[in-house]
Amino acid sequence: MNIMQQLVNGLALGSIYALIALGYTMVYGIIGMINFAYGEIYMFGAYAGLTLALSNYVNVYVALFGAMIITMVLGVVIERIAYKPLRRSSRLSALISAIGVSIFLSSLMVRMKGPNTRGFPKLFENRIFAIGDFQITFYQIVIIGVAALLMLGLHLFVTYSKTGRAMRACAQDQDAAKLMGVNIDRVVSITFAIGSGLAGAAGVLSGIYFNAVQPYMGLLAGLKAFAAAVLGGIGSIPGAMIGGLVIGLTEIMGITFNLSEYKDAFAFAILILVLMFKPSGILGRKANKKV
Amino acid sequence: MSLLALDDVTIRFGGLTAVDSLNLEVKQGEILALIGPNGAGKSTVFNLITGIYKPTNGKIALEGKSLAGIQTHKIAEMGITRTFQTIRLFSELSVLDNVKIGAHCRGKAGLFQAFTRLPGMKREEAELKEKSMEALEFLDLAAKWEEKAKNLSYGEQRRLEIARALVSRPKILLLDEPAAGMNPQEKVVLVAMIRRIRETGITIFLVEHDMKLIMGISERIAVLDYGKKIAEGTPLEVRSNKAVIEAYLGSGKFKSRIRR
Amino acid sequence: MAMKKLLNNWFAQALLFLLALGLTAYVSQVINDVLPPYVLIIGLFIGINLIMALGLNLITGVTGQLSLGHAAFMSIGAYSSAIATVNYHLPFLLGVLIGGLVAGLFGLIIGFPTLRLTGDYLAIATLGFAEIVRVQFTNMKITNGAIGFLGIQGSTTFPIVMTIVVLTIFAMVWLENSRNGRAMLAIREDEVASSAVGINTTLYKIQAFAIGAFCAGVGGALFAHTTTFIQPTDFGFLKSVDILSIVVLGGLGSIPGTIIGAIVLTAAPEALRSLSNYRMMVYGLLLIVIMIFRPYGLLGGVNLRQVVRRALMWPKKKQSGGRA
Repeated sequence: MNIMQQLVNGLALGSIYALIALGYTMVYGIIGMINFAYGEIYMFGAYAGLTLALSNYVNVYVALFGAMIITMVLGVVIERIAYKPLRRSSRLSALISAIGVSIFLSSLMVRMKGPNTRGFPKLFENRIFAIGDFQITFYQIVIIGVAALLMLGLHLFVTYSKTGRAMRACAQDQDAAKLMGVNIDRVVSITFAIGSGLAGAAGVLSGIYFNAVQPYMGLLAGLKAFAAAVLGGIGSIPGAMIGGLVIGLTEIMGITFNLSEYKDAFAFAILILVLMFKPSGILGRKANKKV
Repeated sequence: MSLLALDDVTIRFGGLTAVDSLNLEVKQGEILALIGPNGAGKSTVFNLITGIYKPTNGKIALEGKSLAGIQTHKIAEMGITRTFQTIRLFSELSVLDNVKIGAHCRGKAGLFQAFTRLPGMKREEAELKEKSMEALEFLDLAAKWEEKAKNLSYGEQRRLEIARALVSRPKILLLDEPAAGMNPQEKVVLVAMIRRIRETGITIFLVEHDMKLIMGISERIAVLDYGKKIAEGTPLEVRSNKAVIEAYLGSGKFKSRIRR
Repeated sequence: MAMKKLLNNWFAQALLFLLALGLTAYVSQVINDVLPPYVLIIGLFIGINLIMALGLNLITGVTGQLSLGHAAFMSIGAYSSAIATVNYHLPFLLGVLIGGLVAGLFGLIIGFPTLRLTGDYLAIATLGFAEIVRVQFTNMKITNGAIGFLGIQGSTTFPIVMTIVVLTIFAMVWLENSRNGRAMLAIREDEVASSAVGINTTLYKIQAFAIGAFCAGVGGALFAHTTTFIQPTDFGFLKSVDILSIVVLGGLGSIPGTIIGAIVLTAAPEALRSLSNYRMMVYGLLLIVIMIFRPYGLLGGVNLRQVVRRALMWPKKKQSGGRA
C-alpha cells in the first residue's frame, strides 16, 4: 500500500473528526465545559441528512445544509435547556447534564428510527480518480473539500467578524468581556450553533462516506473527536483541526499495519502519551500556575 | 547564625525577571519583613522558599541544608510553613479539620491505622485534637471550631491560616500580607499575636503593605523593587533610605512598569 | 460517661463492628428467603453499584480527582476474578479478593503517570485508558475476546453483597476520619495549600485511586459472578458514566448521598420498565432535571451529622461572644 494513499484515507477520516472536535474546543474555550452530547448531535446530523436525502432525492448540498440548520437549532435548544441553568455551578453537574442529554438523544433516535444501522442513498456517483498507483474517490474529495471550506469559513468568521471577536474576548476573560458590553448569552448560543452545525455536517459526510447511520454512532466518534480536541490543545481552533487529522491518520495507519482490532485504542494511546509530555496539547497555551 | 539563607536567587518567567540575584538571610528568632511596591516579587520569594517555584539560579538553604530539588511538602516538614496572600483555606472543611491538616507532617498514621483504628491511632488523634485546639485557642478561634472555614469572617480566615501553619511547630513562619483586609482593631490584635508566636521560638518572615504595622513590629526590613533588593536594615535605617523613598514615591522620572 | 468510655474501647468497637457485619449477613439472609428473585436481583445490583460508586466517591468526591474510567477497573476485577474461579478453580470469595487486588494494582500503575494531570485532563486520560483496556480485553485469548467469557459460576448472593457493602461503608467512614482521609479532603479543597502544609499530594492521590480501583474491582468480580457471562461491551464508557452519575447525583463526597444515588439510579430504569421504550429517554431527562434543580446532588451540601444531631439533641445554645 502506498503511503500517499493512506494519507488521503486518513485525511478524509480526520476531516470528519476535526469537524466534531471544533465544537468541543470552541465550547470549552468559551465556557470551560465539555459538551459530551456533541457525539449525539453528530448522529442527529447524520439522520437529518439521511431523512432529507430520502425525502425526494434532494441534492447532496441541500441535505448537508438542511442537516446543519437542524443541528444548529438542536444545539442552541440543548444549551438553553440543559446547560444554561448550570453555567454557574460545578463542572461536574454540567457534565452529568450533558451525559443526560446524550442518553436522551440516542434513545430518542432509537425510538424514532429504530436501533438498526441504515444505509445512505447514493446522492452522486462515486467515481475513482487514479493517478498511477494513487487513487482518490470522489467521496473523499467532497469530504475533504467540504471540511476544508467549513473550517476556512469558521476561521474567517472568528478572526474578522464582530461576533468572532466577541467570542475570542469571552474565551480570554468572560467577566471583562461582559463589562465591555458583550452579550455573553448570545455569544454562547452562537458558539453552540456553530459547533453543532459543524458536527451535523460531519454526520452527513460520514453517512455518505461509510454508508452507515446508527443511533449509537455518536459515542465513539464523539470520544475520539474529544481526544482530537485535547490532542491539538483544547480551546484552540487550529489545534482541533490538527488533532482530528492526527487521530484520523493514526487510525488508518493502524489498519494498514494490520492492527485494525486495535484501531480504536490508538486514538487514546496517543492522547495519553501527549497528555503525559505536553498536557496542554500540540497548540495549547501553557496555563500559568498562579499562587 | 542564619536560619534561612537565600544566596544569589534569581527566577525568570519568560522574559520577566521576577526575582533578581537576591541575597537575604533570616536570623534565628527575629521578625523580618520584606516590603516593596506591587509586583516587586515579594510573594514570588515566598513561593521560591517553599518550593512551589524552582529558582532559575542561586541557592536557598535552611540551617545550611540546601532546599534545591526538595518538594514543597518536604520543605514544610523540614520546618517552613506559610500563609497565602489570597486566603487558601480548605473552605468546605471545619475550622478544626483545617488546623488538624496543618499538623499533617507531624503525624504518623497511615492506611493500616486508618482501617484498624488501633489504640495507638486513637491516641494520636486525641493528641492531634488537643494540639489543634491549642493552636485555635492561641489565635482566638476556639469557639468557632465546628464552623466551616468558608463561613468565617475575613479576619478570622486570616487567623485560621496562621493557626494552620503554626500547629506543625515550624522553625520559620512565612506570613504573606497577614493584615490585608483587616480593620484597625484586628490589626492591633494581629500584631500582638505575631509577637506571641515569636516568643514561642518561631522565627517570623513576613510580607506586608501596611507600613505602620511593619515599622511597629519588625526588627529588620528588606526592600525589594523590580525583584532586586534595594535596601536592608532596621526600620529606622530603611525609612530614611533614599532608594526606598524613590521606589515608593518615584524618582520624578517617568517609569513604565509591568504590573499584574 | 461509662457508656462513652466503653464506646471508646477498641475491643468494644471491634466487637460492635463484627456484630454489625453479622447482623447484616443475617438480616439479608432473611430478606433473601422472603423477597421474589426479581426484586433480589435489583437489590444485588444496587449493592454492586454502591460498592463501585463508593470507590469512585473516594477518588472524585473526597480527593477531587475526576475519573471517567471507573468501568475499566470494574472490568479488570471482573475478568481476573472469572479467570481465577473458572480457569484456576479458586474459591469464589478468594476470586473476588483477587479481582479487587488486580484492579487496585492497575490503579497504582495507571495512577503514577496520570495523576500528575489535573481536572479535565485527568478525566480524559482516564477515559482513554478505559477505552484501551476495553479494546485489550476484546483482543485477548484468555478473556475469549469480543465473544465474551462464559461459564462463570453464579456464586454472588444477596447476603454476600450486602455484607461487603456494609464493610465498604465502614471502611470509607473510617478512612475519611483518619489522617489519610483528611489529607485527601485537603487535596480536593486546595492542592497548593495542601502541599504547603506538608501533604505529599501525589501519594494520597494514588492511594485514593488505588483504593477506589480496588472497590471497582470487587464490584466487577461480584458482577461477573452474578451475570455468569461477561463481555467487553459490558464495561464501556457508559458504564463509567453510570457509576459517576451515582456519585454526582447523590452529592459528591457524601457517603449517604452515594447510597441514595445508587438506590435511585439502579432502581430507576427498573421502575421505569413500564415505560418500556421511553425508559432510557426518561432516565436521560432525569439526570438533566436533577442536575438543574440540585446541582450539588441530592444530598450535596447537607451535613448529615449535624442534621442527626439537631434531631436527637436539644439545639446547642449558640455561643455569642462580643467579639467582632
